[in-house]
Amino acid sequence: MKISLTVNGQLREVEITPYTRLLDLLREDLGLTGTKEGCGKGECGACTVIMDGELVASCLVPAPQADGSEVLTIEGLGSRDNLHPIQESFVETGAVQCGFCIPGMILASKKLLDENPHPAEEEIRLGLSGNICRCTGYAKIIDAVMMAAEKMDGRESDQDG
Amino acid sequence: MKKYGKGMASIMFGFGYGEGFPDHSIASIEIMEDERIQIKTAAADVGQGVITTVIQIAAEILRINPENFEVIQGDTHKTKNSGSSSATRQTYFTGSAVKKAAEELLANIYHYGSIEFRSNHPELGVENGRIFLYDDPDDYITYWELARRVKESGNRLEAEASFFPVTYEPDEKTGQADKVYVAYTFLTQVFEIEVDTDTGIIEVLNVYSGLDLGKAINPKNVEGQIEGGTVQGMGMAVMEDQIIKEGKTLNAGMTDYLVPTSVDIPKFEHSFIEDEDSEGPFGAKGVGEPTLIAASPAIANAVYDAIGVRFYELPITPSKIKKALKEKNEENK
Amino acid sequence: MGKKYNVKDYYCKHTTRCSTEGRKKSKRFVGHNVLKADAWDKVTGDAVYPDDISFDDMLHIKVKRAVHPHAVLKNIDISKALKVSGVVDIITAEDIPEVRQYGLIVRDQPVLVGVGEKMRYLGDALAVVVAESKEAAKKARDLIKVKVEELEVITDPFRAMEDDAPSIHPDGNILITHHLDKGDVEKGFANSDIIVENKYQTQFIDQLPMQNESGAAFYDERKGVVNIWASTQWLHDIQADVAQSLRLAKNQVRIIQPTIGGAFGKKEDVSVHIHLAIAAIRTGRPVKFTYTREESMITQSKRHPITIYAKTGVSKDGYLQAWETKFIGDTGAYASSGPAVVHKGMYHCTGPYNCENVRGVSHAVYTNNTFCGAMRGFGTTQAAFAYESQIDIIAHKLGMDPAEFRKQNIYEIGSTTPNGQQLNHSVNARETIESAVELSGWKGGNSK
Repeated sequence: MKISLTVNGQLREVEITPYTRLLDLLREDLGLTGTKEGCGKGECGACTVIMDGELVASCLVPAPQADGSEVLTIEGLGSRDNLHPIQESFVETGAVQCGFCIPGMILASKKLLDENPHPAEEEIRLGLSGNICRCTGYAKIIDAVMMAAEKMDGRESDQDG
Repeated sequence: MKKYGKGMASIMFGFGYGEGFPDHSIASIEIMEDERIQIKTAAADVGQGVITTVIQIAAEILRINPENFEVIQGDTHKTKNSGSSSATRQTYFTGSAVKKAAEELLANIYHYGSIEFRSNHPELGVENGRIFLYDDPDDYITYWELARRVKESGNRLEAEASFFPVTYEPDEKTGQADKVYVAYTFLTQVFEIEVDTDTGIIEVLNVYSGLDLGKAINPKNVEGQIEGGTVQGMGMAVMEDQIIKEGKTLNAGMTDYLVPTSVDIPKFEHSFIEDEDSEGPFGAKGVGEPTLIAASPAIANAVYDAIGVRFYELPITPSKIKKALKEKNEENK
Repeated sequence: MGKKYNVKDYYCKHTTRCSTEGRKKSKRFVGHNVLKADAWDKVTGDAVYPDDISFDDMLHIKVKRAVHPHAVLKNIDISKALKVSGVVDIITAEDIPEVRQYGLIVRDQPVLVGVGEKMRYLGDALAVVVAESKEAAKKARDLIKVKVEELEVITDPFRAMEDDAPSIHPDGNILITHHLDKGDVEKGFANSDIIVENKYQTQFIDQLPMQNESGAAFYDERKGVVNIWASTQWLHDIQADVAQSLRLAKNQVRIIQPTIGGAFGKKEDVSVHIHLAIAAIRTGRPVKFTYTREESMITQSKRHPITIYAKTGVSKDGYLQAWETKFIGDTGAYASSGPAVVHKGMYHCTGPYNCENVRGVSHAVYTNNTFCGAMRGFGTTQAAFAYESQIDIIAHKLGMDPAEFRKQNIYEIGSTTPNGQQLNHSVNARETIESAVELSGWKGGNSK
């Protein structure tokens, strides 16, 4: 079957089977390998993407369900030369070790900051609790989200001004 | 009811393979004409940051900004053996090999520079990727230009070094030997916890660490090691348990094999003891493994402090705590 | 065959640049927070991990694993599996008689268990299925029929050490024994006013790196080189083990390291590598193999559960006099790092404390559990749970502040370890206690 969806702002048409997962569609059909598979059961958060404004574990979403949806993956957030403030903050706080959880972690952070631009530390911990990181002990990741909140605050008011 | 407790653990860790097992790293560095300095090492960066560590070490020796470096790693046909990223050895072993290679390369820069300037080493200065005569710093040659001229003469501006310290195999009957490990890293941690006597859940509030690491090549990365290692140690202490019954794993997956998440972690405060007194690069010792080791006994000791119960088996799960408290209450009746 | 696969892209991905905003004028780089060179690739999704690699025409692997933790393989029937559409090859032990066993220290692991041979844990491989898609490989794998003769499953190292226990490997169930003997423990205990004796038990732990074992491979027939992209903690050692197993020269096996999604000891051992190489050589096409999380947990190494007996003697003024210990480590079905892990724990049995009289014995013991190997701490993590519990217990018995008791016995320059190694440099253990005490506002043991 054929579905169409908007991925990182681009309309894409993809031929899939009814059993294809959104994760496979992104990684294999569209070559967007920034989205990772850590457990295949929706437990680890490595495959997190934002679909129609909601965080989803893309390993649990059957691709047909994504028909007509709008999906944001890590590749759509920023590039090496033009990092999103959240990405920048992860680099600057030393929040990245092996990096496998990081795309999902960054998208979870984005969703959190979109809804709550000035989160308290406890709110950050809760907001990221669905994303497992085995390397960092989370401390620097929490620092990164705090830093990103400040940066985004500054930039938004710049734009408003 | 929540009961507060404090526990301490001090640990030691002999790093490197030790015990007489051959343990060495080889690294090379080359200055290229196109404004790159290339470090080649097979040391695997598993996330711990060895790529950045070796860049910092080489940059320091070669007196040039880290952004000029690139690291070729991880190809058996392009890089030489750097041993494993294990045994807490890469900063010490590969870091030392890179430092030696950089020192030799710096000597080569002086050598070729002295030919270009028709001068002698003591009269030459090196800074920010330039070599010049002290008398006339404005008349300089960049590393890149020097590399080009060296190449024209049929050579390359490069150096390779190996680091291969010796240890000895312990005696078969007594385990005794002069030098079993190259050096030891020491860590003390104090854990502050709260035990919820109704749910049996242990909450770790604060972790204070004193780490004897010789020298922190990159302090932030060392903090990352302490925080990550400690949280793995917390997992071991209170939740992680692969249950294998009759050879079959009953919890093969992340649904039932639980590890710490962002809501489980404590606040950290660290203190580094940096006496620069090891034989590693700039006096550094390895930190990777030691950071995990103190957590489980420190938590067990804090649990004892909180509720007066000593646990001899890991992990100390909520159900074990509840059971122990029930038994204790019955004894006290 | 003869098709050229474009692999150039993947050779270049590990070159990484280090940016240091704000540090441009500094002359010192060691001791500073230079930003991580690989962080940019990792926050953008550009970093290539093994499962992110794909080639045109690529085949996928699934492995049929043991159906019983301890059994003789009597028959393996792949006829139905071969009929699954998309299956290209199913490899069993009889197809690769020349392939040798492998292993990190002791080469005791079969690449594939053959008919008449034993499976020793549920992760043992019986057949490698190679297919056009993951789905086809999985479907075919599930159609492979296996007959076995079940043996006693040994799950407890103490049972494994009994005389009548069946041998899991030909040389018996005790893989290795080590001893420690320093000073005179009898005399030390005679001089002790308090003796504390306890048994400690640790558990199986999975290192649980976020990235499961994964790799891709293709065979360059022209050069006679099999190229393997897979994560490992030690490229050259894996290269050597794969080469000896396949009876190739070392330079015929090229291991290329993609970005590694964590390891913590779990990626010391061979995992996907040899199966990938065999499939690539036989099919002449690029192949990929990624473990599921479940497969990773069942198949690859664990942290050793260790039973530790610790007997510690101390004088009434709080000085350690004697330490006797025994370590029994469950090393599971194969040796892996087991010959090095359990006794490294024992070598650290007293922690960073002076003790003149130390005696110990350690055994690493085979069972039919998932094999145990390296994990961060390598035996000393388990040891610390025992020795730091002992130290705390003794301090309380003495009525001393646990921090003071530690400081009174702590290593200094000139101290000797249980191995008799004299510490002649970089011993700042006391300072670690002092700084943790200061940071935490520690005021003695009883905080209530």
